[in-house]
Amino acid sequence: MATALFNMLVFPGFLFLSVVSLFAEYFDRKLYARLQNRVGPPWFQPLADFIKLVAKEEIVPSEADRGMFNLAPIFALAAAVTAFLYIPLWNLSALASFKGDLIVVLYLLTIPTLTFFLGGWYSRSLFSAIGAVRSITQLFAYEIPLFVAILAPALLAGSWSLSGLTAYYSAHPFYWLFNLVGFGVAVVALLGKLERVPFDSPEAETEIVAGSFTEYGGRMLAYFRMAIDIETVVGASLLAAVFLPFGFFASPVLSFVVYLVKVFFIIAVLALLRTVFARLRIDQMIVFCWKYVAPIAFLQILFNLFLKGFVLG
Amino acid sequence: MSDTEKAKHTLESKFDFLKDQVRVQRERRLWLEVPKDKFFDVFDFAVTRLGFNILGTITGLDDGADIGLIYHLFALDGRVLNLKTRIAKDKEPMKTITNYFPAGAIYEREIVDLLGAEFEGLPAGLSYPLPDGWPKGQHPLRKDWNIAMLDQANKENK
Amino acid sequence: MAENIGYPIGPGHQINEPSDFNFVPKSKDEMRIPIGPQHPALKEPESFSVALRGERIMGVDVKIGYNHRGIEKACEGRSFVQDVYLIERICGICSHTHSTCFVQAVEELAGLEVPKRGLYLRTLVAELERMHSHLLWLGVAGHEIGFDTLLMYSWRDRELVMDVLADLTGNRVNYGMNTIGGVRRDITKEQVENALKVIDKLEEQTKYYIQLGTEETTLIQRLSGVGVLSHDDAVRLGAVGPTARASKVDRDVRRDDPYAAYGDLTFKVVTDDHNDVYGRTLVRLGELMESYSMARQLLKNLPDGPIAVRAPRKVAAGEALSRYEAPRGEDVHYVKSNGSENPERVKVRAPTLANLQAVSKMLEDRYLADLPIVVAAIDPCFSCTDRSIAVADHGTLSWETVRQWGIDWYKQERGIDFTKIKWGKQ
Repeated sequence: MATALFNMLVFPGFLFLSVVSLFAEYFDRKLYARLQNRVGPPWFQPLADFIKLVAKEEIVPSEADRGMFNLAPIFALAAAVTAFLYIPLWNLSALASFKGDLIVVLYLLTIPTLTFFLGGWYSRSLFSAIGAVRSITQLFAYEIPLFVAILAPALLAGSWSLSGLTAYYSAHPFYWLFNLVGFGVAVVALLGKLERVPFDSPEAETEIVAGSFTEYGGRMLAYFRMAIDIETVVGASLLAAVFLPFGFFASPVLSFVVYLVKVFFIIAVLALLRTVFARLRIDQMIVFCWKYVAPIAFLQILFNLFLKGFVLG
Repeated sequence: MSDTEKAKHTLESKFDFLKDQVRVQRERRLWLEVPKDKFFDVFDFAVTRLGFNILGTITGLDDGADIGLIYHLFALDGRVLNLKTRIAKDKEPMKTITNYFPAGAIYEREIVDLLGAEFEGLPAGLSYPLPDGWPKGQHPLRKDWNIAMLDQANKENK
Repeated sequence: MAENIGYPIGPGHQINEPSDFNFVPKSKDEMRIPIGPQHPALKEPESFSVALRGERIMGVDVKIGYNHRGIEKACEGRSFVQDVYLIERICGICSHTHSTCFVQAVEELAGLEVPKRGLYLRTLVAELERMHSHLLWLGVAGHEIGFDTLLMYSWRDRELVMDVLADLTGNRVNYGMNTIGGVRRDITKEQVENALKVIDKLEEQTKYYIQLGTEETTLIQRLSGVGVLSHDDAVRLGAVGPTARASKVDRDVRRDDPYAAYGDLTFKVVTDDHNDVYGRTLVRLGELMESYSMARQLLKNLPDGPIAVRAPRKVAAGEALSRYEAPRGEDVHYVKSNGSENPERVKVRAPTLANLQAVSKMLEDRYLADLPIVVAAIDPCFSCTDRSIAVADHGTLSWETVRQWGIDWYKQERGIDFTKIKWGKQ
């Protein structure tokens, strides 16, 4: 019981996840800055930002629905952290696992987007409303490719449990190479989920000030930003677990290092994509996802089905 | 004869009241003052026939009892025709030229705000450049206006 | 004789001007959002009341005048020499534009002929200003479409131009280079060498941006088909500068009505027929390349001689119209003198005022996401456009009061006492 509590709250639960997320935000911002020929922030910047925001005054718009307004960030944070519990990190099995937990993790990762929508909608502000609607619209575009791309390796492994998935791929080394196309699709879809350039229409600073977060300030904004940071690490961990399920050594320290390398590699790719692309308009984003990303994801699934049925047995 | 001189020649031959009135200050610069009743004939001719079909801007001047209006018309080859006319201050309106140049509305609105002229036929629009709540009758570009008058008007309105 | 060249005259479409400006929805199925006067998308204050249906723009009402500072009236109360410095401060990015345009008009009135070297130096600073302005625009455009990398790179290159300008004139903006009758500062051989080196570096960098502009898909996708202004509309609505030249309107004051040293230079007028923001980007990039070539010609062929002639205090009575091709388009100054030390009337028509009429047309039936880039694409400079009296919260302040307040503020807050400073010989 005590170990379970320790695992959930400290390591590799909430505290560990928070620290890694803050460091991941620093890593992302520093890499982005260096690619742009700038200096970039120091290592403690995300922590400093968090503390500063928590210390600021909270202003809730008079017309906003207080309950929804205040609950939305908390739900986002809770959902992102909970999803982390089911992802195998450096052991073959996660902290908790059961048949079908892959689907649960994907749903848990959808909740933050819904909270962005609810928070923005119940802010009763013009810019928030537009941002909220864009969040949900974007959901329709990237969610399907993301789900399909993540289901493809699961199909090959014949298991709906993340831990079962990693067990299968550990037993069959190099099978993960079949899923590389799906990996590419999942990275692009992850960009949409995390609302990063080129898919950051919902939070387009130059168009709608801050989208859903326009009216947020103080603690609630700090929680939202933390939720996004945590979602980044959880998403990267999910992708690492599903598409790069190798490097589980007997030595836990080595596996831990491999896990960190995998996660930060994915975050580096996200940072690179942020640097080289402009923001796509919401309609352009939807067209792009449905015209190119989704079909490629389906191709991956067909390929895996074919492999499973006729080649691998 | 340069193109500028040719334009002067054409104007003077077309309108006899313009004889020796068109002044060529330097190359590509023509200056001409026309009384208001003959203004639109000359304007129409210059814009539609002489090739001065680009409106640069409209300058309003406070000329004592009159408001002077200078229409700066450009031609594609760089020549400028500065067409002046006058209207009696606070007595006469001027006809708008937005039927020729729709974008000229903002220049006319500027003169309405800053000099207090009136343009007949100017479509409704936002006043420019003075802010909302500017007291009526205060026209900053008039020579007899100074900032004390604005203070006074604001005090009275309070 | 130039006959009617078939330029479209008259309203081509219904211009619906609002008679009042507010953010109340005008019908049940529209939502109105305010963009401005303060908004992250806008670098200067202007107000747009945007009628939206979902993401589509149904109409835009434009209100400007927030930067009105009363400069035209102020000019009438100051001498011609003082006005050179006042006019320069109409705008930070196009300061040399306004100063040169004004000085040209006064020189025409006074019958002065500026020596060749003075004209060349004036033109050199003008082209350097055009370079820094276009690089600034490139960065702003990148930022508006969420492409911050372009912002960082182009502004890093812009620093090179700013350093050259600081080296030649002593300041990064508001150069104080012009005086009536010529320029105030000469340049040395070392400065010429340095400037040539910097221009070589910049040309290399700009070639990279041109490559980016023609090959980067997200950039092209965001800029193409946005802010469309057909050739006829560009002419009817009086658009000027790169905004018009991207709609194949072949007008450039430097070639059509040459001033300063432009008569001696060989250059191309860059036009494009995309009619949209992408075209405007290409035009500005092309103009950058032409500026480099012109600056090189000026630096290599700089004639010797004096840089200014003496100007009289009292300028002969008369009137003059001066035109200048600012980075944003055509700038027009009208100056009337009555024979005294102060001008009788100064009128400034900045390019953005001419381009503003076109913005409402460009935004018709487009997406909200395009609004920032469309507005940015005319390269708006509202400081140039409005020039009025700011009514401060402490009641209306006269010029003298404002000036004294500034002096007192510096004394109290910063410990700087202007009366104690020894002003050197200028």
